[in-house]
Amino acid sequence: MAGPRVWDAHYLDGRTPERRPARVVIGHTGLEITLLGGGGSFRWPLAEVRQTQGFYAGEQVRLEHGRGLAEALLIGDVAFLSALRAGAPQAAATFHDPARRRFRPGLAALAAVAAVAVALGLYLWGIPALAAVAAARVPVAWEIALGETALVQLAPPSRRCLDPVRHRRIDEIVAILLRPLPDPRYPFRVTVVDHPMVNAFAAPGGAIVVFRGLLERTDSAEELAGVLAHEIQHVLHRHATRAILRQASTAVLVAALAGDVSGVATFGVQTARLLGDLRYSREAEHEADGDGLRMLQAAGVDPRGMLAFFQAMQKLEGELPTGVRYLSTHPAAGDRLHALAGLAAQPPTRPPLKLLAGDDWSTIKRICRPAP
Amino acid sequence: MAEPCPRCGAPAGVERCPQCGLLLSLYHASLEKLRRGPPRGDAPWPSSTRRLVFHGRAGSLLGIHIVNVLFTLLTLGIYYFWGKARVRAYLYSQSELEQDRFAYHGTGTELLIGFLKGLVVFGIPVALLSVVPQVFRFPPAVASALQTVLWLLGLFLVPVAMVGARRYRLSRTSWRSIRFSFRGSVREFVGIFVVGSILTSLTLGVYYPVFATKRQAFMISHAYFGSRKFDFDAHGRALIGPFLTMVLLFLPTLGLSWFWFSAQRHRFFTGHTRFGATRFRSTVGGAALAWLQLSNLLAIVLTLGLAWPWTVVRGVRFYYRAVTLEGPLDLGDVRQEARAASATGEGLAGLLDADFGVS
Repeated sequence: MAGPRVWDAHYLDGRTPERRPARVVIGHTGLEITLLGGGGSFRWPLAEVRQTQGFYAGEQVRLEHGRGLAEALLIGDVAFLSALRAGAPQAAATFHDPARRRFRPGLAALAAVAAVAVALGLYLWGIPALAAVAAARVPVAWEIALGETALVQLAPPSRRCLDPVRHRRIDEIVAILLRPLPDPRYPFRVTVVDHPMVNAFAAPGGAIVVFRGLLERTDSAEELAGVLAHEIQHVLHRHATRAILRQASTAVLVAALAGDVSGVATFGVQTARLLGDLRYSREAEHEADGDGLRMLQAAGVDPRGMLAFFQAMQKLEGELPTGVRYLSTHPAAGDRLHALAGLAAQPPTRPPLKLLAGDDWSTIKRICRPAP
Repeated sequence: MAEPCPRCGAPAGVERCPQCGLLLSLYHASLEKLRRGPPRGDAPWPSSTRRLVFHGRAGSLLGIHIVNVLFTLLTLGIYYFWGKARVRAYLYSQSELEQDRFAYHGTGTELLIGFLKGLVVFGIPVALLSVVPQVFRFPPAVASALQTVLWLLGLFLVPVAMVGARRYRLSRTSWRSIRFSFRGSVREFVGIFVVGSILTSLTLGVYYPVFATKRQAFMISHAYFGSRKFDFDAHGRALIGPFLTMVLLFLPTLGLSWFWFSAQRHRFFTGHTRFGATRFRSTVGGAALAWLQLSNLLAIVLTLGLAWPWTVVRGVRFYYRAVTLEGPLDLGDVRQEARAASATGEGLAGLLDADFGVS
């Protein structure tokens, strides 16, 4: 062999944009650089050299020497890196190994699988757990304020049914349900909205919205009490707050997957506004069902009203358009009625209370129509 | 000794040709420069047209992107900044002008610190001003006063962020080891921005092209490559006509007229940019721009973001094909003159979504 290999390179001095042709020889502890055209020669100790380009196909190799505005050496042939690693084993780790490039497609595929797995894990467990922990720490005052904002959108003041006499009867039901609670913590109040939707919502902070469509389909005060108990439990368990946090975090996750994080803040704000579109998980519905039923029992209200209402809703499923269905926002496992019936089957400790005994329910439930 | 004039052949004096007025010393100096000329023989000097060339591949960028996504998820977002720095380093390293690659010198650490500082400067006041009125139900007068403060803060912070981002971005960019820099004053740009925004709304948008051109002029004419400055020499008056035409045709063309205006604006801005004796030129066309942006958008939506690397590579290629550098590129007197810059403006720009990168 005729001596060490000489590599073609270009040298940039870091002070002028002049690109000077050079020759490089790899020594054991440094690079011997000779500038062509009488520029002299010098040596870069390998310990002071770092690689800043040449990690991907199509890139020249760029080595820098010195701090800050460094001198640079540009070598077109990527084989230089392999030679450098072989010639100076003690410094090999500092420089990229082009041989590793062939593993990249495989590693990228692995990373893709791992990313999907991590994203799924975050979506299914991480975010719900995080939302539950965070929701428990949101001050009640914030929830009330948030609910207030949501209420204005869900129940525009012009569409509220306000007849004071009949509204007082509905408030009475809420008061009876809350009576056994030592400290309800939230100012619960019901707003009836003149809309055919067969549905009810609980905003964070205790604002409960019942639509005319649902109210008029109840056959007794006990049935409405069942719906209200369910919604009150959503509030007490902070399901809405949790769902908002979950949706906002999911939006962030989606943004991270799509590689765009600049829109994250906007995403978060937007989701928080879309309260009306919130979906609770089946677990949350199950919790609200069970604790709602126990709430009825504690208040001495006959739980068969709640059961009857859910039964009626199940029957309605096929008949109503999707947008107005109760079950579309109150998803439940198939055994909902079964589970509730099981809970309700316990013999009552005292005879059930007759709600609004002196009133005609069919008049009260038509609160959105003029009084007879 | 009277050697013949190298240009006209007449017997010349020692310094100046009596017939054509040629200065001999200057002529020989230029000739020498030409001879030393281009670093490598294959590029003619002075050539009339130069181009940026992009060597990057969507496949490589996809690999980088996937790894970035994975690490971003695993670190709950922290890695995002390192990923961003890696993508930039890749795109710059694959961009070539005159056989030399650009280089990106920013780091993830800088970007993270910039983001955190931006969060303090911008995030805390905004969070306070937007959350507080919701929690404590202020009377409407107080609430709307707070809204106004928020709006004014935005009007003030957007230009601050734009200048900061540009200052950071250019200070971390180099070509042939010479750093770019940006030396415009924040105060001056805030003035341009606030006045321009007010005039634009007062004139119902007619002033917009003048405003946009003033912004571009500021961004270009305070940019430096080493010790030499870029220049911008246009007034936005010329864009008012095309802008109004675009607005008139906006509804009839279902918004497509925007792309034609956008392409025209790009040609106008690029064509009035100079670097020494070099003039930039762009041939971006409206139809091509519309196709590029709409198909990119469609690809992103259909693949749920997976096509992002492909759209980036495609976009860079599109602009590099359309933009040329015309005239001699004489770098003889350019010296290294780097300026320090923090990434706070960059972080702020990320938060405000005011990412107006001029390549």
